[in-house]
Amino acid sequence: MVVSTYLITAVAISGLIFFLSNRVANQILGGVFLIIQIGITVYALQHRGSTDSLYFTFDSLGILLAIVLSILSITTFYHSYLYLKRHAGSVRNDSIYYGALILLIASMTGAYFANHVGVLWFWFEATTLCVSVLIYHERTAIAIEAAWKYIFICSIGISFAFMGILFLSVVAYAGGLTELGLNELMATAKGMNITWLKIAFILVFTGFSAKWGLFPLHTVCVDAHTGAPPPISAFISTTLMNVGFLGVFRIYTIVAQTEALAWANRVLMICGIISITLSAMQLLRVTHFKRMFAFSSLEQMGIVALALSAGGIGYYAAILHIILHSFAKAGLFYHIGQVDRIYHSYWIKDTGGYMKINPLGAIVVLLIFMMVTAIPPSGLFVSELMVFQALFAGSHYLVAALALLLLSVIIFVFGRNFTQLLYSEGTPHQVAENARINKMETFSQFILIALIIYLAFDPPSFFTELINSAVAVLI
Amino acid sequence: MTLIYLALTERVNRFVTLLIIQGVLLFGIAYFQLKHIEFANLLFILLETLIVKSIATPLFLYYVRRRNNLYRLSESNVPTFVSILVISAALVFGFVLSLFLQDLHIKTMFFAVAISAVVTGVYFIISHRNVFTHLIGYLVIENGIFLMSLAVGAEMTMLVHNAILLDIFISVLALGIFINRVGDTFQNIDVDSMSQLKD
Repeated sequence: MVVSTYLITAVAISGLIFFLSNRVANQILGGVFLIIQIGITVYALQHRGSTDSLYFTFDSLGILLAIVLSILSITTFYHSYLYLKRHAGSVRNDSIYYGALILLIASMTGAYFANHVGVLWFWFEATTLCVSVLIYHERTAIAIEAAWKYIFICSIGISFAFMGILFLSVVAYAGGLTELGLNELMATAKGMNITWLKIAFILVFTGFSAKWGLFPLHTVCVDAHTGAPPPISAFISTTLMNVGFLGVFRIYTIVAQTEALAWANRVLMICGIISITLSAMQLLRVTHFKRMFAFSSLEQMGIVALALSAGGIGYYAAILHIILHSFAKAGLFYHIGQVDRIYHSYWIKDTGGYMKINPLGAIVVLLIFMMVTAIPPSGLFVSELMVFQALFAGSHYLVAALALLLLSVIIFVFGRNFTQLLYSEGTPHQVAENARINKMETFSQFILIALIIYLAFDPPSFFTELINSAVAVLI
Repeated sequence: MTLIYLALTERVNRFVTLLIIQGVLLFGIAYFQLKHIEFANLLFILLETLIVKSIATPLFLYYVRRRNNLYRLSESNVPTFVSILVISAALVFGFVLSLFLQDLHIKTMFFAVAISAVVTGVYFIISHRNVFTHLIGYLVIENGIFLMSLAVGAEMTMLVHNAILLDIFISVLALGIFINRVGDTFQNIDVDSMSQLKD
């Protein structure tokens, strides 16, 4: 009953925050929730493989993503505190923000550990509601537009995913199942009707692509980033995309037991390469930092899809990449909040001379540029190397060559726009006179950068063991 | 018939009336399809279809209509005749697909209509530019999905409950609230007014 207790406690804390509407209470209760969040992650790690509250299992992939979520929850709470302190909104709005953030974290945790397709889908729906509230936080026209687009397209996506689950239920019922447990589905997958299974996969994939940030429903994430507060953009681009990845991965593991695997790989490969292509094309004309990072996430998820489709070492690379990308992109979004405080703008043309204005922040930008574009010592270099290894091993030379070419374009665009931010001598739009950045604010970003390098080049044994265990069902 | 009439009308009241009719039809279908399940479960599902689909959601839509002064929406991108053709084609497609996917465990008739409703809903959204009509299109998709859950998932009542959750959480709570906010902020609820998020 640990997960149920955790979820009930999260709802209670969120409700209490909303009811009390008090800044001190927000912080104290937020802190209490973080302790509980870390507690459930540690508990899951200690009870790997065990089932809890009937519909939840502490499997390796769920644990890995929950660890990432717990780490980023701490940093996101910290940056949310800084963001809300400086944006001086009403206490009521701040309480709604914290309450929704706690519910979002709990929903994502529920999705990570769900062992039933219907329950997994439920948590997807819950995350959509919580994120919409958070995107809407600033109550500006852009925030409303972003929230509306997010909730509407995600709802369509969720509906499609549900249709996929209904199709899956037909083949499951034909195989003698009366519930849609993941393990049971995998065990009976071999006897399933391939046509129904393919339809189920394509519908679930299309629906969950809205959360994964991958083609075809990728636009929803891009717009959401632009309207959301930076700490929330950090979540949408990382842990929430991981929820989308996990949803597709769960269905993929069922399909992988059947002869539809090669077909599913082709679907993933096509969507992966289209995502990278769209990302490169959009990045060439992008003029807004947050949209640039959003399109970068589309590219990264495209790489993850390619990794999955290539199979072999690609499976390991996909999970490693999605974890390391979470830390890199979160650091980038946290930092763009500081950049906004100096220039009062996210538009690239409004920035410049950052190296002189905030030297420590400029170092963070340089380092994160290296991390995101997979330049050594970035851990993403290791995961991308594995992805291309897998693509070449699978004789997907054309896809690999095209991906390499597009990645070069993306590195060029990132380099050009970060050079504008760091070194441009032109007069920036408006530099806030009183924008003093506390050096401690960049501390979290240095920690995340260190994690990216450490986890790729000298990973602890439990970490590699968890990834190997997560992909074991596919090999 | 409600799907085809959806393409014909431009009056907002008619859209809502069609949703009420669909809700009542779903209530009847749910009763006959799920008679065998335990009483409490059946009661919950029936109450949901009746209260949420036929009463609460339409009332809420009437409220949104009044608040945003919507009476007639003639902003479709395509002529009515073409829309009727497309929706008729969707119905045919639904039946052909259900024949192609014939399975012992699905109710072919409901499945065909469900597929047609989903395709019609998607088409309705694509062919209209107003946020309100987008919501109507989405609710038609939801009704299609609910019917599909009865057609293929009647043996797994958890899926029927999930289909209900899709109704309550997304359409009523979130979409409706945001429509009002969109109307307040942009002075109208045409999607063209929401175009700040682009490169």
